[in-house]
Amino acid sequence: MTVLQLTDVTGGYTRKPVIKELSFTIGEGELVGLIGLNGAGKSTTIKHIIGTLLPQKGEIRLNGVTLSEDLDKYRSSFSYIPETPVLYDELTLREHLELTAMAYGIDEQTLQLRSQSLLKEFRMEKRLNWFPSHFSKGMRQKVMIMCAFLVNPQLYIIDEPFVGLDPLGIQSLLEQMDEKKKDGASILMSTHILSTAEKHCDRIILLHEGRVRAQGTMDDLRGAFGMPNATLDDLYIAMTKEQDHE
Amino acid sequence: MNNLQDVWSKRFNHYMTEVQKYMRFVFTGHLAIVLVFVIGAVGYQYSEWLKVVDATFPAEWIVALAIGFLLALSRPVTLLREPDQVYLLPLESKMTTYFSSALKWTFWSQIGLAIVIYIVAIPLLKAVTELSSGQIWLCVAVIIVLKYLNVHIEFNYRYANRGASLSIDRMARGVLSILTIQSALTEGYSYVIIFIILLFVYNRTLAKKVKIQPIPYEHFVKVEQNRMMGFYRFANYFTDVPHLHGSIRRRGWLNFIYSIVQHNQNGTQSYLVYRTFIRTDDHFYLWVRLTAISGLIALLVNIPIVTWVVAGALSFATTIQLKYALLSSGDFRMDRLYPVHGSQRKNAVRKVLRLFMVIQAIIVMLCSVGQPLFFVTGILIVAVGELTFLMTKDPSREY
Repeated sequence: MTVLQLTDVTGGYTRKPVIKELSFTIGEGELVGLIGLNGAGKSTTIKHIIGTLLPQKGEIRLNGVTLSEDLDKYRSSFSYIPETPVLYDELTLREHLELTAMAYGIDEQTLQLRSQSLLKEFRMEKRLNWFPSHFSKGMRQKVMIMCAFLVNPQLYIIDEPFVGLDPLGIQSLLEQMDEKKKDGASILMSTHILSTAEKHCDRIILLHEGRVRAQGTMDDLRGAFGMPNATLDDLYIAMTKEQDHE
Repeated sequence: MNNLQDVWSKRFNHYMTEVQKYMRFVFTGHLAIVLVFVIGAVGYQYSEWLKVVDATFPAEWIVALAIGFLLALSRPVTLLREPDQVYLLPLESKMTTYFSSALKWTFWSQIGLAIVIYIVAIPLLKAVTELSSGQIWLCVAVIIVLKYLNVHIEFNYRYANRGASLSIDRMARGVLSILTIQSALTEGYSYVIIFIILLFVYNRTLAKKVKIQPIPYEHFVKVEQNRMMGFYRFANYFTDVPHLHGSIRRRGWLNFIYSIVQHNQNGTQSYLVYRTFIRTDDHFYLWVRLTAISGLIALLVNIPIVTWVVAGALSFATTIQLKYALLSSGDFRMDRLYPVHGSQRKNAVRKVLRLFMVIQAIIVMLCSVGQPLFFVTGILIVAVGELTFLMTKDPSREY
């Protein structure tokens, strides 16, 4: 079953589009990596999917609806972990979790159950009453991750998740992602850590200058670039060179 | 060196636009209303007092102390920035042009206040001393010379000592300035000349030290940063200064208020807004300040119509500023993605403001309890608050 479907999406911050005629889908239980150079349009694509930017052309369907058709259903269907943590300076860690639970209609009992295991997993139990100003960059990132996993949505959208996390944090995040996948959730992840992407992603979308350059499994990509046995790093560099020649 | 003159001019223009941008808000803000009232009241009291002031009143000493002390505070405005420590380093020997422009501006921007205070004191001097008009105006010239010397000495002292033990220098200059003005006001002109020569020699000594030292960029940049920070904090009382993030305090004693909010999806924005308002110093202290001013005026001015006008104006000011502060935001916040209705935030802000305007009304009403029709004050505050919220535009729609 298709969870997320982008059809010919064109858009950007101004009239000049950053992403052009983007089309791809993400199925149930799939982990898809969004890979591209700086400025290729990864973050812009994500902003269109979460609805902070609206497409100039084309359509984005999440769980069968567009944002304008059913705002509540669309927004309840995903949770988002931004590249730079966005926290409320005036809320403690506990309150961030409570607020998220309230917003997504999660009852008290479920909140307790889920947050306890998340706090333990990310080793943040002792910081429940802290304000974010006392958190390091990695801890802030962990708060975002916990809030996202607390919601338990159909789709996770994760922008550059590994930057700022310590190795244990990265491990915990990958485990959580794996677990959610097994439960049937889908994940769209943008990253520059290619070895991790190659290892964990079911499919890869290579963005280049706002367009999909190639997409599919690692084997599909090797085929598209005519480079059998290539790693994702090799393919990425090949794409860079392609750009240099233009 | 034309180059550094340009650097100064560019910086100065940028600085002026920045200051003007924020001063607009200061003079259209609620403090302007209060200032008009305060200046009016103080002016009236002063003129009444002048009619009965005793001829033995030590006006010369008081004027000398006030202005002399003020003159000693001559912090240089250099407009230096952090990168200058690197980029202007090769131009070290040519920086004299830059600093002379900086000191000119320092002098002109600070002399005004001293002169204004002196002019305000002229009626007093005329009432209790026998100085002629010429002598009174001669003292203005003395103040100008003193200010010029103070600006240069403070700059040279900071330069030569990298800002260490500035208070000793300030104290010395303060005492000398006070004595000079006092002498000028008591016709001791030979003393005036002696004190000014002393200051002049002091300045020359420091200037010689300056010549053999590298520019203390670190100190001057820090002075400049503190000065701008002070300005932004001040401006932040009137408007939202974007790069100034208000500090957060838990204020645990107000936790009981949060229990009003229902823990379900409809309460999401209320959960957030109550905490944002109570814990953000900028928002909370704005309310405290305006409530205190309104209460004080109700307590001290026993004319009901004045109390009503002030209470109404301050209720308007409180509501509109908090509405803007809580509803407008250019920054991305996670609650923009929440699956809750878009109007929830506005309703939450309205509820928080309603509660705190009722509290303001009760406090001000208690302060005016001796006046006839004191309950009108309370009704007025709540009504103006509600109307302000309804009739003003919704800033969140601008995005």
